[in-house]
Amino acid sequence: MARAIAAPVAEVPAAPEVGARGGWLRRRVRSEVVPRIVLVVMCLVFVLPFYWMLITALKTNEELTAYPPTLWPRSPQWANFAAAVEIFPFWRFLQNTATITALTVLGAAISNPIVAYGFSRIPWPGRDKVFFLVLATVFVPFPVLIIALFDIFARLGWINTFLPLVVPFFFGSAFWIFLMRQFFLRIPQEISDAARLDGANELQILFKIIMPQSWPALSAVSLFAGLHAWNDFLGPLIFLQDETTYTLAIGLTFFESQSQYDIKLNLLMAASALVVLPVVVVFLMFQRVFVEGVTLGSMK
Amino acid sequence: MGFGSDAFPRPADRTAGRRASRRNVLRGAAGLGAAAITGARTIVPARAQGEPVVFWTAMTDPDLAVMKGIVETYNGESPAVPAELVQIPPAEVTDTSKLMTAVRGGIGPDVYFLDRFIVAQRAADGVLQDLTAFPGGYTLLENHLPFARAEATYDGKPYALPHNTDARALYYNRGMLEAAGVDHAVLDPANGPATWDAVKEIANGLNETGPDGNYTTMGFVPWVNQGWHYTYGFSWGGEFFDAAACEVTPDNPQVVAAFQWVYDYCQELGAQQVSAFGSPTMQPGFPPQQHPFITGNLAMQITGDWMINQLRTYAPEMDYGITFIPVPNEGDESATWAGGWSLAMPQGAKQPEAAFEFMKWVAGEPGQRIYTKESAHLPTWEALLADDALFTERHRFFSQDLLPIAKTRPPLPVGAKYWDELTAAWQAVYLNEAEPEAALAAAKERVQAQLGRFCPVTIEG
Amino acid sequence: MATQTAAAYPAPRRPPTARRFALGRTERRNLALGLLFISPWIVGFVAFLLYPFIYTIQISFTQYSGFGDSLPIGWANYQQLLRDDLFWTSLYNTLFYTGLAIPVGVVVAMALALAMAQPLPEVPVYRAILYLPSIIPAFALSFVFVALLDPARGIFNQALLALGLPNVNWFGDPGVSKLALVILAQFGAGQAALIFLAGLKGIPQPLYEAAMLDGAGTWRKFLNITLPMMTPVILYDLILGLSQGIQIFTQIFVIFGNDPPGAPANSTLAYVPYLYNNGFRYSQMGYAAALAWVLFLITLVLAVVIFRWSSRWVHYDTD
Repeated sequence: MARAIAAPVAEVPAAPEVGARGGWLRRRVRSEVVPRIVLVVMCLVFVLPFYWMLITALKTNEELTAYPPTLWPRSPQWANFAAAVEIFPFWRFLQNTATITALTVLGAAISNPIVAYGFSRIPWPGRDKVFFLVLATVFVPFPVLIIALFDIFARLGWINTFLPLVVPFFFGSAFWIFLMRQFFLRIPQEISDAARLDGANELQILFKIIMPQSWPALSAVSLFAGLHAWNDFLGPLIFLQDETTYTLAIGLTFFESQSQYDIKLNLLMAASALVVLPVVVVFLMFQRVFVEGVTLGSMK
Repeated sequence: MGFGSDAFPRPADRTAGRRASRRNVLRGAAGLGAAAITGARTIVPARAQGEPVVFWTAMTDPDLAVMKGIVETYNGESPAVPAELVQIPPAEVTDTSKLMTAVRGGIGPDVYFLDRFIVAQRAADGVLQDLTAFPGGYTLLENHLPFARAEATYDGKPYALPHNTDARALYYNRGMLEAAGVDHAVLDPANGPATWDAVKEIANGLNETGPDGNYTTMGFVPWVNQGWHYTYGFSWGGEFFDAAACEVTPDNPQVVAAFQWVYDYCQELGAQQVSAFGSPTMQPGFPPQQHPFITGNLAMQITGDWMINQLRTYAPEMDYGITFIPVPNEGDESATWAGGWSLAMPQGAKQPEAAFEFMKWVAGEPGQRIYTKESAHLPTWEALLADDALFTERHRFFSQDLLPIAKTRPPLPVGAKYWDELTAAWQAVYLNEAEPEAALAAAKERVQAQLGRFCPVTIEG
Repeated sequence: MATQTAAAYPAPRRPPTARRFALGRTERRNLALGLLFISPWIVGFVAFLLYPFIYTIQISFTQYSGFGDSLPIGWANYQQLLRDDLFWTSLYNTLFYTGLAIPVGVVVAMALALAMAQPLPEVPVYRAILYLPSIIPAFALSFVFVALLDPARGIFNQALLALGLPNVNWFGDPGVSKLALVILAQFGAGQAALIFLAGLKGIPQPLYEAAMLDGAGTWRKFLNITLPMMTPVILYDLILGLSQGIQIFTQIFVIFGNDPPGAPANSTLAYVPYLYNNGFRYSQMGYAAALAWVLFLITLVLAVVIFRWSSRWVHYDTD
C-alpha cells in the first residue's frame, strides 16, 4: 500500500476485463458505459446540495415561496450575500473560526510529528504496547467526556474562551499520531543511523531529516486538523457561550433557530455557502493530500 | 506546560510538571499554548469596577427596541449606577448552559432576563440569588399578579421580579369564514366561549385537499402555534401538579381527556396529512408571512396576544376576531394559560445593590408601564391592568377577560424536563403515534424520577 | 492489506545476549528519549482523557446541577437509567440509524469504488465531486438538506411527485424522520468510496488472471476475489462508521431543532443529544455523566462484538 501513497491517485489499474467471454461491445458496456452512468448520476446527486444552496441563496424573498419551487433564480440576487454577512455577526464568527482553526492546525502540526517520532524512530522497550494504548483511545468517543470536560474547564475559567477547543491539540491526537507514524516508519532507518554517527541529536534528525521527507503526511494531518476545527459543532456548542466567541457553526445555527429574526432561507443559504466556500477551495488546492490522507489511515 | 500544571491539580500535575519542565523540547509548544491563551482571552471582554449594571437579554426586535428605550429612560433618571443592555444570542430558553457557564466563568451579568416558568429550575440549580435580603425584596412581589408571584418564587423565597405576561386565545379569520358561508356568531366573545366540537364543526366545512391528497386549506389545526398541551389541559380543567403528593400529574383524567380530543380530531382528518399541513409552520425559521393563517389558508388558530402586532405587520387588511379558548362542554368556564418573563440576579453579580435598584424600576410600575404601552404585551403589575390608556381594544380583551381566567405552568425545579416530556407526548398524540393515556403516563414516570429528589416542593400562591 | 510498513523498523527485541531484567545503556537512553518525545501525548492523555474519564465516573454517582455542591447519591443515577425508557428510546434510535446508515453506506461506497476503478480518464473529476460532501461542515449540509427535503419548497419531494410517488413529510412524520438522517448520511459515502478504491487497487492482479483462466465471470470474480480481499477495508469502514454513527448529534440538532429534543415525538432522540440535554438543559450533570459512562461501555461492547464477528469473515492473508 506504500505505493499508493508515494505515487498516488493518478492512473487506476485497468480492471481485469481483458479477453474472456463476451464480445467487445459487452466488455465495453461493462467497463465503461455502466460505470459512467452510475458515476454521472451519483455525481449529479452529490452536486445537488451545492446547487440547491447556491440557487436558493440567489432567490428573492418572493421566489422562495413559489410553488413548485423554481430550479433557477429568475433574477439572481447577488446582494443576498452582502445581506447575509450583515444580518449575522458574520465577520466576527469568521474571525473566531479562523483563529481556532489556525491554532488547531499549529498544535496538530507541532505535536503529532514529535509524538509520532517517539513511536517510530526511536526503539525503546514497551513502545509498541504503549502505542497500542494510543490507538485504543480512539474508542473513547468525545461525547463521553463532555460532562466532565465542561466542569473541569468551567473551574479553570476556560469556558467561553478558545482554550478548551485548541489546547488539547497541542498534545497530539491518536489518529494523527498514527498517520504520522505510518509515514515515518517507511523512511529507511539507515538515514537516521548515518545522522547519529554524524553527531546529530534526535531533534535535529526529526526536524532536519525526517520532516522534510514527510510533507505529505504533515500536510494531511494539518488539513484534517483544520477541517475538524472549521466543521466542529459539539465542542463550540458546549464551550463557547456568547456571540463574542461563537464560531460560524454555532452562530449561524443559533441565529437561524430564532424565527423572530425572520432570517430567510436565501440569506441562510448565502451564509452557509460562504462557510463552505473556503473548504471547497482548500480541497481543490490540496485534493491529492486529502485523498492520500484518507487512504493512508485505512492501511495497517 | 505552565498552564498544564495549574490546570489539573490532580493526576496530570505530577506528570506534566516533572516531565516537561526539565526539557526544552516542548517549550515551543508551551509558548504556543500561551499564545493561544492570550489570543483567546482578548476576545473575552473584561469588566472593571465602576462600570454599569450589566443587563443581559435574549430579546429580539421589536421588543428589544422597547427594552432599550426603557433602559435609556432609567439612565435618564440619573440612578447611582446606570445600566447597560447587552443583547445575548437567543439560545433556547430552557438551555441552562449559557447563563450557568457565564456565571461560573465570572463573566455573568448583574441582571438576567429569564423566562419566568424556568425561574424555579434555575433557583434549584443554585444559579440565582435569593432576593429576600434586598430592601423590599419580598413585599415587592405583592404588587404583581398572583400567578406571576408564584412563578417568581421557589421554596418560599423570591428569586426574580416578574416583568410581563401573555395569554392565549382563539383567533379566527372572519373574512375567510364568511367567504365559505360559515356563520361565526358562535365565535363572538360576546357569546362566551364556543365548545371545541363547535369549532370542529366549523373547521370541517373549510378543509380542502390538493391533487396529491394533502390539505391546501384547513379550518383548524389543534396544535399549530400556541395550541400546546397546557392550553388544552387547562381548558379541560386539568391539573399538572399535585403539591400535597409532590407529584406531577400529566396523567390527570382531564388532561388525558383533552389529549384524547386532539387525538380523535387528528385521526378523523388523517394525522399525517394534518401534520404535513401544519408541521412546517412549527419548524424553526418558518417565515411568519407564509403562515397559513396569514395567507388565508387556515381559518382558526390558537395563539397569543403578540399576534395582534404580527397581523398588523403581515396582514393589515385581514378581518379577524379573537375569542376565548373553547370549552369541552356548553356552559363550562373557559381557561387559558399565561407565561411571561422576569428579571433575575445571577450569583456573582458584581453590583448587587445597584442591580436590584434597576430590577425594581424595570419590573416595577414605571418600567412595565412603558413596556405595556409600547410593546403591546401584558403587565404583571396589577395596578396597571386597570389603566385603560395602556391598551387598544383587542388588547384589552386579553388584559380584562383572559388574564383573570389564566392559569400557569407549575413552577417546578424540573420545569424544562416537564416541558420537553409533555411536548414529546403531545407530538406523539397529535400524530396518532401513541394513545394519550400511555404517553402521559410514561411522561409522568420520567419527570417524577427527576422531581423526586427535590420533594417536598412548595408553590406560592 | 499489506503489512510491510509496520515491519520496516520494529521495536527491538532484546538481543539474546542481554541480561534479562536490566536494560543496557543504549536502551535506557532510548527509553528516556522515547518517553520524552511522546511526553506531550502522555500529558494530553492524562489531562484531557484519563482524568475527565475518571471524573465522569465520579460525577455519575452524585446529584449535581453543574452549579454549587454535588451530592453523593450512590447508584441512584444508574438505577434511574435502567428505568428510563427515554434512555432505551435514544439507544434504539441511535442503533437504528447506525444499523441502517452504515450497511447502506458500504453498498453505496462499494458501487462507487467499483465504478471508479474502471479505466475512465475522467475519474479524478468524479472522485473530487463524490468526496466533497464528506468534508463540508455537517451543520451547513444539514441546513441545505432541510431546504432540499422541504415538503413544499424542496426539490427532493418534487422529484418524488414527478415519479408518481407520494409527498413525504420527512421532518414531521416519526415514521420517516430517521430515514431522512440515513439519506443524509449517504452524502458521506465519497470518503468510504476513496478508501475502498485504494483497497481495490491493492488487490493483486494475478488473482484475477488465474480466475479468468478458470472461466470465472464478473460476478464470480467479485464474490470470490474482490469481496474477500476487501474485507479488511470494509471492517475499517464499519468501525469508523460505527463510531461516527453512535455519536450523531449535529445533524439532528440542526435539522430537528432542540426544542423539544428528538422531535417529532422522540423519533429522532439519539443518545448523544439525550446526554447533552440532561446535562445542559435539565441541569442533571450526574445523570448525564452516568449516560456518558454507559455510552463508553456500549461503544466498547459494540467494538468487541464487531471485532469478534469480523474474524469470521475478514480475510487477512494477502499473498
